[in-house]
Amino acid sequence: MDAHVNGHPTPVPDSTTATAAAHLRDGLGLTGTKIACGTGVCGACTVLVDGSPTVSCLLPADRLAGRTVTTVEGLGGDHPVQRAFAAHDGLQCGFCTPGFVVEASVFVDTWRAEHGDTRPDRETIADALAGHLCRCGAYEGIAAAVAAACAGEFDTEPEEAPPRLDALDKVTGRARYSADLAPPGSWEGVIVRSTLPHARVRSVRAADGRTPLVELLPPDRTVRYVGQPIAAVAAPTPEAARTAAATVAVDYDPLPAVVGFDAARSPDAPLVHPTKADRAAAPAYGEAPTPPLPWTGNVRGPGVLSWRGPTAVARLRSASAAGDPLLVAEEYTTATHLHSPLEPHVCVAHWHEDGLRLFVSTQSVSKLADQVASRWDLDRDRVHVVTEHVGGGFGAKNGISSDIRAAVELSRVAGAPVRVSFTRAEELTDAGNRPGTRTRVALLADRDGDLAAMSVDSHGDGGVSVGSSTATLAFLMYGRAPRRVRDFDVVTHRPPGLPMRGPGGPPMAWALEQAVDEMARRLGEDPLSLRLRWDGNVKRRALYERAARTDLWRDRPRGPRTGRFRRGVGVAAANWLYLYGPRARVELVVENGALVARAATQDLGTGIRAVLADTITDRLGLPGGGVRVEIGRSSSVHGTGSYGSRTTASMGPAAADAADRLRSALRDRDPRVPERGPIDEHVLKEALAAAEGLSVVGGRVRDRWGPLIPAMADDLAIGRGMSGAVHVMEVEVDTLLGRVRATRCWAGIAAGRIYSERQARNQCEGAVVQGVGQALFEERRHDPNTGAVLTDDLEDYRIPGLGDVPETEVYFHREGFEHVPGGGVGLGEVSVVGVAAAVGNAVFDATGWRPRDLPLRPDRLIEGIR
Amino acid sequence: MSTIVRPDSLGGALAALAEGARPRAGGVEQAAPGAVVDLTGVADLRGIGPNADGTVRIGAMTTVAALAGLDSHPALALTAGALGTPQIRGTATVGGNLLQRTRCAYLRSPVFSCARSGGMGCPSREGDHLHGVVFDSGVCAAPHPSSLAVALLAHDARVEVVGPSGARTLPIADLYDAVDPVRDHRLSPDEILVAVTLPAGIPGDRVAHRRAAGRSRAEWPLVEAVVRLSPNPDGTVERAAVAVGAVARVPLRLPEVETALVGAVPGAPPGPEVDAALAEVVARCSPLPGSRYKVELVRATLTDVIGRALSP
Repeated sequence: MDAHVNGHPTPVPDSTTATAAAHLRDGLGLTGTKIACGTGVCGACTVLVDGSPTVSCLLPADRLAGRTVTTVEGLGGDHPVQRAFAAHDGLQCGFCTPGFVVEASVFVDTWRAEHGDTRPDRETIADALAGHLCRCGAYEGIAAAVAAACAGEFDTEPEEAPPRLDALDKVTGRARYSADLAPPGSWEGVIVRSTLPHARVRSVRAADGRTPLVELLPPDRTVRYVGQPIAAVAAPTPEAARTAAATVAVDYDPLPAVVGFDAARSPDAPLVHPTKADRAAAPAYGEAPTPPLPWTGNVRGPGVLSWRGPTAVARLRSASAAGDPLLVAEEYTTATHLHSPLEPHVCVAHWHEDGLRLFVSTQSVSKLADQVASRWDLDRDRVHVVTEHVGGGFGAKNGISSDIRAAVELSRVAGAPVRVSFTRAEELTDAGNRPGTRTRVALLADRDGDLAAMSVDSHGDGGVSVGSSTATLAFLMYGRAPRRVRDFDVVTHRPPGLPMRGPGGPPMAWALEQAVDEMARRLGEDPLSLRLRWDGNVKRRALYERAARTDLWRDRPRGPRTGRFRRGVGVAAANWLYLYGPRARVELVVENGALVARAATQDLGTGIRAVLADTITDRLGLPGGGVRVEIGRSSSVHGTGSYGSRTTASMGPAAADAADRLRSALRDRDPRVPERGPIDEHVLKEALAAAEGLSVVGGRVRDRWGPLIPAMADDLAIGRGMSGAVHVMEVEVDTLLGRVRATRCWAGIAAGRIYSERQARNQCEGAVVQGVGQALFEERRHDPNTGAVLTDDLEDYRIPGLGDVPETEVYFHREGFEHVPGGGVGLGEVSVVGVAAAVGNAVFDATGWRPRDLPLRPDRLIEGIR
Repeated sequence: MSTIVRPDSLGGALAALAEGARPRAGGVEQAAPGAVVDLTGVADLRGIGPNADGTVRIGAMTTVAALAGLDSHPALALTAGALGTPQIRGTATVGGNLLQRTRCAYLRSPVFSCARSGGMGCPSREGDHLHGVVFDSGVCAAPHPSSLAVALLAHDARVEVVGPSGARTLPIADLYDAVDPVRDHRLSPDEILVAVTLPAGIPGDRVAHRRAAGRSRAEWPLVEAVVRLSPNPDGTVERAAVAVGAVARVPLRLPEVETALVGAVPGAPPGPEVDAALAEVVARCSPLPGSRYKVELVRATLTDVIGRALSP
């Protein structure tokens, strides 16, 4: 029996293993349906089966027989909730969006039929969308969009274009992600991973001796964690590839392993990186190059920053000896936090007569092409990296990851395009992480309540990798009182970390900002006014003053709380470096009488397409829609990588420069083009028609006074001035069941001028979501004996849903970066750093119990409060 | 070559099982390789029907979402409505939920073997068992995952089973085995769970349900509790049923708490005998090192549901 899919009868496979999602995507080409978790938790694969929202990743394909199926493609694009998602910017990377809109279309229709055109409350919407997860955290926009569609506000096409240039592609399922671009005839590759924490691999072979197999071992043929890639195999179908992978024989020589943080520090622990060469080759998860540091056994470091450090240490020691009540010395820990973008790592590689083509989910199209060219010894112009849309990354998709290695090597052996896509278990095991930390902070105040000394010692728990920077970041907070900060790494036989959104930042704030709160308590002072006294940063001072005037802060509960449910409000401050890519370029081309902007950058979900378009149209005084943006191809002029909060601060000024160059080039041809100000529409049309083929390339104009640290490696400079943030968080603690609910949040962000208001707010709202996830739920757990990751699906690695996140108001302080072309810097990282710490301080305010360990699980609350 | 059989009768389904096919209900648990018998078309497995005596028969293929609308048995409806996600509730069936596989990361992982996967012992016991049992019955440390079983236990439900030797019914408690660590349930591979039968609902029952968990929705509970209080004509509690889940290899009734609740007065706080009974439950707990917190959480969750069931 056929299924009716989007109105067309289509045959259904009679397979015991095929899922409806795989059939819709691979069999029918309906790639709007996304597979993200594979276990029916995240909802990205939701389709309507006989009108009911159904997770197609669990539904057996044969169950579609005789049923009516509507995918996101079948909704068309005219459903009010699709328009509402676009208009309210209820999306970022867009990977979860098809599932959300399919579900929401039914909810909205049902709601309106039952309640008329009224707005459901947030809890009702959270109930309806409980089967959907958005890792970017676009929940504010999603809730607003659903409510507005229910109220009948989007029955007709809105006049204003959506804030996000690719919004309509994303709400209709038209947006193609890298897995969707595999050409017909592509093979599937599957990675075979270590089942032992430490072993030398003697041999690897495919059971039949014929299946294309490539080894992915390091030169010493040693695996150092469970889940480390050993080899990869390819076959014409995913099922055949999985079967082939399951039968690969790996012959191991087991070696002694150490997986515990404390055990690794014991003198007789097996060494993870025994030789000098091993240590130098240890993977690094810092954003900047890792400096050489001394090692003692499995401990690397310290990396020390000191400002009158001996004075700081002497003061702290004598305060400790004297039992000074104004010495706050405490230890805080954070758990391993996973990026878990909903689009997994994926690469489709194809060796071709023009070279090597890669459809890949990456945060750095241009840099990746450089790296691939160098690794496989190709001319750069024979490497074609394409990334139309990226389904989130948060730092995990930067560089040659094992999916890329496997796909490239297998494609060469198989003589066909090969797609390698991580399963969710692989994504949650070996796709990077924000390592756990153990941080000891000591603050001493003098008689006037001024900061007299600070020390921070932090140990990163990054598995086989190194590069913790938690303490280093604390060095940059709270003025110039004497201080010494030290970063250490403890290595174990566990998977390596990678930079994750504000690397080192949230653990730093979790420790430092709670210690500062504790000091405020000891001094009997308002936590905001203490920070206002201690913190010399002008931008953050403006945020403190603003925060103090919010209702959330002014009307916060005072005095001891009683009863089962206790409300509390906490605050935390944050800073971040201002980074940019000095080599950023944007090309503007006149093609068929229209303007096209091109650059080898990529949209991670932050909305750089709209930033480029708006910058160019504003600069030229054109109406919206006056320029088409094409990004995500390495053949375009160099664009910056999307990490280190620098895409907008690099590409925005380059776009403005390109617009200026275009104006000047058009003016050379047609003097009616004015030197500045809006260009008359008619004049522009004629000027463009006469300039067919014209191409200009804009670059990243220098900041006034230049950068603080010019071009470090990899198109990276540190600019002058730091971005800042202040978060005010309200929580409600259920003291009986040990549950914390984050209810409201005010996020004050100082990153200078904002390029794209709604998209920037969305990103900051999403940072609150991720910070709340880190504070309350998210924790990669591993087996203490083998280090094997146990939280390898999205049921056990728990990211927040709509019902778990606070209603968030974002405030921008827009001054302080006038020396930067464009006037604004990045905000992706500064907006996440202080969130978990603000939750911690709010929990203390509510309960009088100071949390030390993240996440704030019910067991910890129950133990702590009693 | 694996095949799918789609019988329209119990007889057909039993015949397929006898040949080694695996039953498939909602399809929520992903299929293992091999032949499948899809139960969608079997009429005897469908429908919710009140019987003449007021009991309610629920076909095993009834979805969880349908149970969530069962007004006659609110404790079951509340439990069903809090389970999983809306999409899962729309797909998952009563039978599949009751007979689902143990949820344990170690059991799922290809890296480990244990008593349940043909090896020895339990690596979770020696390793991570934050979600583990708090009433330990040996070997396997993973609690039973079915929420519906907890509510059905509180309703004194019976299950109807057919196999090659005919039909039988058994109390829901007997569907599970606390001691045998290897099995998810006591059905043999050639049997089918046909239906669940609930005693007649009692109008005026005071009920409450709670999943203690971190997130607000769509989360496996750390502890789950259901309470059902049946009133005397004067409103005091005549009979109580209290069940907890996520704490043992099987869902548990708590007789000491039930006894203590008899005579309780709605609107008044529970008396000291209830506290004493909760203390007895706590004393009976035998947690593992990592699940010790659940002892207090059991008490807290029961306090919550009892308090809400007795609230005015």
